[in-house]
Amino acid sequence: MRRTVGVVDYGVGNHASVARAFEALGYRCRVTRRFETLATCDLFVLPGVGAFPAAMAALLQHGLADYLREQAAHGRALIGLCLGMQLLADESLEHGVTAGLGLITGRVAPLPGGRWHIGWNAIEVQGGDALLAPSDGVSVYFNHSYEFVAPPECCICVSHLDRPIVAGVRRGKVVGLQFHPEKSQAAGRAMLKNLVEGLLDA
Amino acid sequence: MLKKRLIGVVTVRQGLAVQSFGYRRYLPLGRPEVLVENLDRWGADEILLQCIDRSSSGLGPDFALLQRLATLGLATPLIYSGGIRSTADGVEAVRLGADRVAVDALLHADPRQVEGLARELGAQAVIGHMPVGVEAGALVWRDWLRGEGRTLGCKADFGGWLPWVSEVMLTDWAHEGSPAGFDESIPDLFPYSDIPLILFGGLSEPAQLRRVLQRPSVVAAAVGNFLSYREHAVQSFKREMDGIPMRPPGFAGLGLAP
Repeated sequence: MRRTVGVVDYGVGNHASVARAFEALGYRCRVTRRFETLATCDLFVLPGVGAFPAAMAALLQHGLADYLREQAAHGRALIGLCLGMQLLADESLEHGVTAGLGLITGRVAPLPGGRWHIGWNAIEVQGGDALLAPSDGVSVYFNHSYEFVAPPECCICVSHLDRPIVAGVRRGKVVGLQFHPEKSQAAGRAMLKNLVEGLLDA
Repeated sequence: MLKKRLIGVVTVRQGLAVQSFGYRRYLPLGRPEVLVENLDRWGADEILLQCIDRSSSGLGPDFALLQRLATLGLATPLIYSGGIRSTADGVEAVRLGADRVAVDALLHADPRQVEGLARELGAQAVIGHMPVGVEAGALVWRDWLRGEGRTLGCKADFGGWLPWVSEVMLTDWAHEGSPAGFDESIPDLFPYSDIPLILFGGLSEPAQLRRVLQRPSVVAAAVGNFLSYREHAVQSFKREMDGIPMRPPGFAGLGLAP
């Protein structure tokens, strides 16, 4: 049966690119903030480009923060991408302290020295996570200046600048990726396919 | 390890992709969508779409073109440049599918808007695009709309926007479109070594690309129609980048049917 991906539309970011990527993989895609439509989806994707406080405010404004927490508590699969990954954290230090969704333990902090992490970098899978294992060593596209500081048990992959940076986090069926698999060409799309199938078949 | 990037550039004027020669003479090439799709398929590291007449004509960004590109489902990061007048313009460009925006005229016209863009999108999504040339051994920044140049010496010459961009793109505008015409003194004359640079304009030869990419501050080289003259030129260029940390040549190859 054709699976449906719900791209959570909270008014911030690159929903069009994300939706096209999943459609190219053969999934039915719904870009929406309506609960009744999201309820028909097999898995949620939380995209995002921009600043954490504005994004979190938008999720709260539309009632999506509580909705996503409830759905995650009921075992629904959720993938956060880039800023969407950071929103899964407990809090962020971007432009002050802002509470996040609290779905994965951790804090979002600036990269040391006001640095950027822009461009293609390889990922190194941690702990043999089965969903990401086929993507170990592939290069993917990063574009961020804040990082998700997570405990080792939540970290499923890292990337290296002058030290390891958390590139992926997971807690059960909630997964966050710091990079943009939707813009990482064949490697990114293969990863998305493995993630969706793996999370839904688990 | 973070890789250096090869960016494919598509230059658009009056809605058509063009071959530009120093931004003075143009040859029409066809629909921009076709060139962008090729670069996506050939595995460019990023694609820069620069619509060069949108600011001078007061038309604003070409959102219609971005919408058409969105239907292609690009798998390569897209940078949009052209006609961005405000924070809202940049946010809309990202909503329509751009991953980053590059601003040029706005740097002169209203640098405060660049801060707004960075606050909304994050500075990692904002590139400062500077058409430059070398005159009397100094770097001169071209203001297209006013038709004048400004010699760059210290940060004050930039106008206060530098903290709000993640990378600066230096375009050798006079040699753009000239094979191997890029003036390699440009990155050396740029006054700050801690600002990541993208270079563009007359970069056409692998040996030249390798030389400029060896500079620590140069994170990317942008190449225009030299990539479009022959199929798979992206892979050909990359194969000759020995010693440069670069994503290996490959094809986007999205044949991932469910």
